[in-house]
Amino acid sequence: MKCLLIASESAEVLFHWSDLEYRQNIQEKYGASQEEGEGLPAFEDILSTLFAPIIISCSTLEDSYTSFTTENNHIYVLHQFDECLYIAVNGDGKEKEDDLRRNIYVLKKMIEVMFGMVTLSGNLLRKELRPQDTEQRARLWKYLQSLLETYSLLRENDQSFLVEAVERLIHPQLCELCIEFLERRLVQQLNSSAERAGEEVLHAFVLVHTKLLAFYSSRSASVLTTSDLLALIVMAQNMYPSNLDLDDTSPEDVESTSGSGPESFYTPEPSPSSRGSSGSEKAGQGEFPVFEFVDPEVQMAEDSLHTLEISPPDPSSPRRVFLEVSQKDGLYPMMPHSMYCLSLWPGITLVLLTKIPTSAVAMSVYKYLEDFDKLEKRLHEGHGGPASARSPLNIYDIRTKMDKFIKALGPSELQSAYLQNVWTEFKNRAFSKGGSGFNKELIPCCKNMKTQLCGIYRRYFLTGSVSTDPTQHLSAGLQERAQAMVQEKLMDWKDFLLVKSKRNITMVSYPFFHNIPSPYKDEVRADLTYLEDFPGLVHFICVDRSTGQMIAPSLSITERTTSELGKGPVANYIKNKVWALVRTTRRYLQKGYSTVTLRDGDFYFCYFLWFENESGYKLQPLDIPVQPDDSPPVGMLAYDYYKRLLRYYSKNHKGETVKCYELLTVHLGVIPTEIILQHCRQLASKLWEPSRNLLL
Amino acid sequence: MTSTACDCPAFLKCDAQSLRSVEGSTPRILSKCIFSLEEETHDRPLRITYGWAHAAGLKEVRGEGDPTRNGICYFYPEETPLDKQDLLCGQLAGVGRCVSELSSSSVQTLRLRRCKFAIRMKEDFFWALGCSMEVPSDSVCELLDHLINLFCFYNGSVRQSYQLNSKESLAAEWARYLFHVLSGPSELHYILRSLRTIDLTNVDPLLLLKAALILQACQRCPLVLAGCVLFRGRAVSTQMPPQLTMKVMVHESKTYTKTQRLSEASPPSSDGGPVSSTAVFLTPSELQYLQAAPVDKTSRSHSTQEKDAPPKKTRLSRTLSDTPSSESEPSHPVSRQSPQKLSFSPHLSGSEDSVFSPVPSQSTADSPNPSPVSPVRPFSNGGNSHETVEKTLDESHYHSFHSSGDEVSQIHNEADGSVFEENLYLNGGGLGGDATCETSFEVRGADCGNDLLRDDQMAAGEVEVSCSKVRGHKAETKWPPPVSCAVDSLEESPLIPMMLYMHRVNSLVLALLVEPRFMSDTASMEEVNHSSLASLNGLEAHLRAISPAAPGAAGPYLFAHYDSIQSTLTTNVSGRPGGAPEHPFVRATSLLHSHFFDTETLQEAIIRSAGTAVYGTRTVAHETYFQQHGGSVRNSGIPNQQDSAFSLPSKARHRLLKHRVNLL
Repeated sequence: MKCLLIASESAEVLFHWSDLEYRQNIQEKYGASQEEGEGLPAFEDILSTLFAPIIISCSTLEDSYTSFTTENNHIYVLHQFDECLYIAVNGDGKEKEDDLRRNIYVLKKMIEVMFGMVTLSGNLLRKELRPQDTEQRARLWKYLQSLLETYSLLRENDQSFLVEAVERLIHPQLCELCIEFLERRLVQQLNSSAERAGEEVLHAFVLVHTKLLAFYSSRSASVLTTSDLLALIVMAQNMYPSNLDLDDTSPEDVESTSGSGPESFYTPEPSPSSRGSSGSEKAGQGEFPVFEFVDPEVQMAEDSLHTLEISPPDPSSPRRVFLEVSQKDGLYPMMPHSMYCLSLWPGITLVLLTKIPTSAVAMSVYKYLEDFDKLEKRLHEGHGGPASARSPLNIYDIRTKMDKFIKALGPSELQSAYLQNVWTEFKNRAFSKGGSGFNKELIPCCKNMKTQLCGIYRRYFLTGSVSTDPTQHLSAGLQERAQAMVQEKLMDWKDFLLVKSKRNITMVSYPFFHNIPSPYKDEVRADLTYLEDFPGLVHFICVDRSTGQMIAPSLSITERTTSELGKGPVANYIKNKVWALVRTTRRYLQKGYSTVTLRDGDFYFCYFLWFENESGYKLQPLDIPVQPDDSPPVGMLAYDYYKRLLRYYSKNHKGETVKCYELLTVHLGVIPTEIILQHCRQLASKLWEPSRNLLL
Repeated sequence: MTSTACDCPAFLKCDAQSLRSVEGSTPRILSKCIFSLEEETHDRPLRITYGWAHAAGLKEVRGEGDPTRNGICYFYPEETPLDKQDLLCGQLAGVGRCVSELSSSSVQTLRLRRCKFAIRMKEDFFWALGCSMEVPSDSVCELLDHLINLFCFYNGSVRQSYQLNSKESLAAEWARYLFHVLSGPSELHYILRSLRTIDLTNVDPLLLLKAALILQACQRCPLVLAGCVLFRGRAVSTQMPPQLTMKVMVHESKTYTKTQRLSEASPPSSDGGPVSSTAVFLTPSELQYLQAAPVDKTSRSHSTQEKDAPPKKTRLSRTLSDTPSSESEPSHPVSRQSPQKLSFSPHLSGSEDSVFSPVPSQSTADSPNPSPVSPVRPFSNGGNSHETVEKTLDESHYHSFHSSGDEVSQIHNEADGSVFEENLYLNGGGLGGDATCETSFEVRGADCGNDLLRDDQMAAGEVEVSCSKVRGHKAETKWPPPVSCAVDSLEESPLIPMMLYMHRVNSLVLALLVEPRFMSDTASMEEVNHSSLASLNGLEAHLRAISPAAPGAAGPYLFAHYDSIQSTLTTNVSGRPGGAPEHPFVRATSLLHSHFFDTETLQEAIIRSAGTAVYGTRTVAHETYFQQHGGSVRNSGIPNQQDSAFSLPSKARHRLLKHRVNLL
């Protein structure tokens, strides 16, 4: 009984996802108010009709709605992102308000992944999300829906998606071996091949279900953020779902979801200024005649997308993803990459991320968008301020660069011609009276410029022939060779890896086994297990938030596998408790509490968040900012809360690398509190000792 | 976009329907109400905005350009520009209606970014109470319910009130209740809504006992249901459930402030003498509770017994309390009482059925639970002496027998058992388990020396559960709906008119809930007056003599101890302006309280930020929060058993003993 929808300000449904129960419920509601004999309209139209009063009221009130609850425990969560209103509903009590808010943010992340900087223009995004062609719309929505379903499944069953951090397979030798192979053999070979069509492999990693076996980034690549990596894992899982109950997935399952159009990645804006830019940018779209220019072009672009969709999906064509790239001169969100997802065996996937040849255009577009946004803000502030005094200087610089940029794009492209027109108009207005044209009347021109820049971006990275033309990406043969190489390398490990990923570490494993550099460790040392070392400890989760990685005993509760907690009600109970604990501690963290202990039933729960410097010295805690209830969810996937927390903390520790750790434990309630705290302390220091950093 | 009322067909349709079904040709009233509580930074932590909308019917709504405005019955703050009132009322009501339709259930809370609203929709009325985000949603909902209940308590059904009275005069009523609700001493009182009681630390327990005895004496009069003694706007002793006492206190505080003002202006109080009364309305469950309460009501049964007293009773009535009452009461003429009896029985039978529905039965089970620190329940808490407990227990059994005997037993035999069983439950719940039950039996057994009887009752009690429903139905069919006192047959639960009688002695007030006839029954009035006046004067003199405890001697810690059953709050949080250091504690309490509310199994919690650590613990009956001031050794956030936060439980245990809070 749940539903998630995106609506435009005019109550048009841009996307919806709901389960059968909710659909029936809504259809009944609608049917009751209709005349007999009429067939039901499309579901999205029913939703639009029924939700219209809410959507319209949202734009009427100054202070927008964030949630409703009803007496029968239906929960509605609302969030407005620029021109799009997201509404999430739950009527079966399985999701709480924060889950719904998280769903909304994840959906937003996925949309940004698929449409990149086009999301910065409300009008363009609306057209992307709700294509005119119903078949195409159905296909797009289905793909987004399946992504959301995959995500929900992971969040409900996978601890790494519960805490939103990446889990590695704990097997240092094999990891090392594999990384070396990726570096020396695979990536090198791919990047030196003539069949790579100008693309360059930046990152390569191997996933065993959702866990990372090996990750290699080339030297020229920037760091892949945890947020992006988690989103990529969701996409890979969506493409090759690993059946949670059965270890053997049938090949039909594996192939079912491949090839549904290009998508792109988007990462959260790096700085407040750029975030502001996107905000104000989108706020003012849609009321200018420029769209009369744009529309035919948009239509054309849709047609080209359409033909792409209809042609039989080429399994070798990559997905367009937009990832955050950090350069020396700053952060660039939403930079285009191609993602190749190659299934080695069911459950084991090789993912390659490449830089595409035209990515420089994206960087320029982003820079100009930022410039025009700044300019617009200054114009809003009015003339006479210090901003306007400085802006002419900047603008002359922009002017020369822009001229060059447009020249470089070449006039042949239709979209470039539009940009050229708008740019000429802008120049005429702004520079005609010797620079006195910089006043509020210029704001519409700024907006037009931004829209046109988004259009260029869209043309290049979403609808252009880049992704459809087989000569524009790694050739199928090259991909096959890469796949075969890794398969060959991992052949002997395959079964081990599949089992290992289910029982990565357990409470009865030997926790400190891996840290001795000797190859004969298991002979020389018989370590205590977690269970023996920490009597009374039931479960724990440790997260290194600075690297976005987590470690926890496996807790898979399925029909077939059994954890040492057993199976059935007890194991399920503990699993539910762990899930609830994470939710609770997030709530407290949001309100500024970084240490929480709870005595709940027969268990004692602890949660700690702390900061260290690089050498492991514990840093003084700082009052963590208190956030309002409707703030973005605490996590790393859709919104990197911890990155912001670290940035906030680092302000007081300039020049020091600050690390952030979290520890959650579940103990039996009969254990004295002092012992529990002692355990937590030991566990914390043992797990994250620099020497035994399991996670590279 | 003007107003959703116009844009939203669902909204209009729904109202139209409800209107049609409710009223025929009488003026159609479509009403809404908005309150919103906004945060203010300085002297008062919270401020309520609140409003009543009152709109005309469907046709008028379409005809007039501005429908919402006419529908607003009350809006707080009253100085809010009408346009703003319109906008807020229109939008909230429209969206509330829409969401209710989508979910087939009425909206409970509605949150904006900076403000949250509790919403109630009943018939075609719409209430909204808004407040700052820091107050837990459950507390806001409770607060709104309390406001509405207050209104109903003093005015009867909302619909009828608006038919009979002008919007303006009722707006004044709302303002009064709101003012009262908002006059809580600190923000904590919004989170843990509680009854204001006198400070027990420096009151001689004997005085409490005395107050309890006054109330018991008054109850001898059959027309008196229950009462409470209040001193300077705070409860000294009460026989009513906390919710009801809170309602009564609103009236008291009004007269209190009035007399204060008068006494400032002109020394002798000329406010129509010390005795006053006002009409009030009880809900069936409240009435049921009061009638089921373990008090001595021999007299009441006495008068009707003359007709159909079963022989059992004479045996059971051999208790101390029984003797004087039977002497003092016989003056009441039977003829006057029997019609009253008749008009009342329907409610009784109806409400008795509701004993088995979850909500009322819970309240009855909870309410009489005496705690060791109870200030307000002296009849069971007379608890200092064994004798009183036994006596009370005995009386309760006795009462249950009688009430069943004379009111329901003629309908069905099992009725005996039903009431009996319920009282067993009461006592069991109240005094902590079967052991007590056992004792009570022994006491009673010793009294009448009849074990056989006891077995019979047990059996009857067991049978009763299964057939209670059937009996309820029978009762309903037998007794037609009580039109005579039902205010509005469409109300969920018909309200029963009663009188609130108040006797003021300077700052002390004796408030009694009495049956309406009481005010015309000079004999009863005189008797009550007679039996209480001297004691009241004495009590007042004693209470006045107590010097108010020096405020501000707070100590190096903050705490709040909430008794959820008696709704009392003991705390050293002052809520004075400039209480900024207290804010983190209040915030943590609010968070922990809603966590306790959500998670049944949670027993204790410690939460810590860099500067503050707060410990919270709860049992079935209590919630306690504790924070140690200063000296908080700044830890590094890592797990560390030396961290001062983890010594909070033992410190709390130690420190709070002084405040009569036992955490062991």
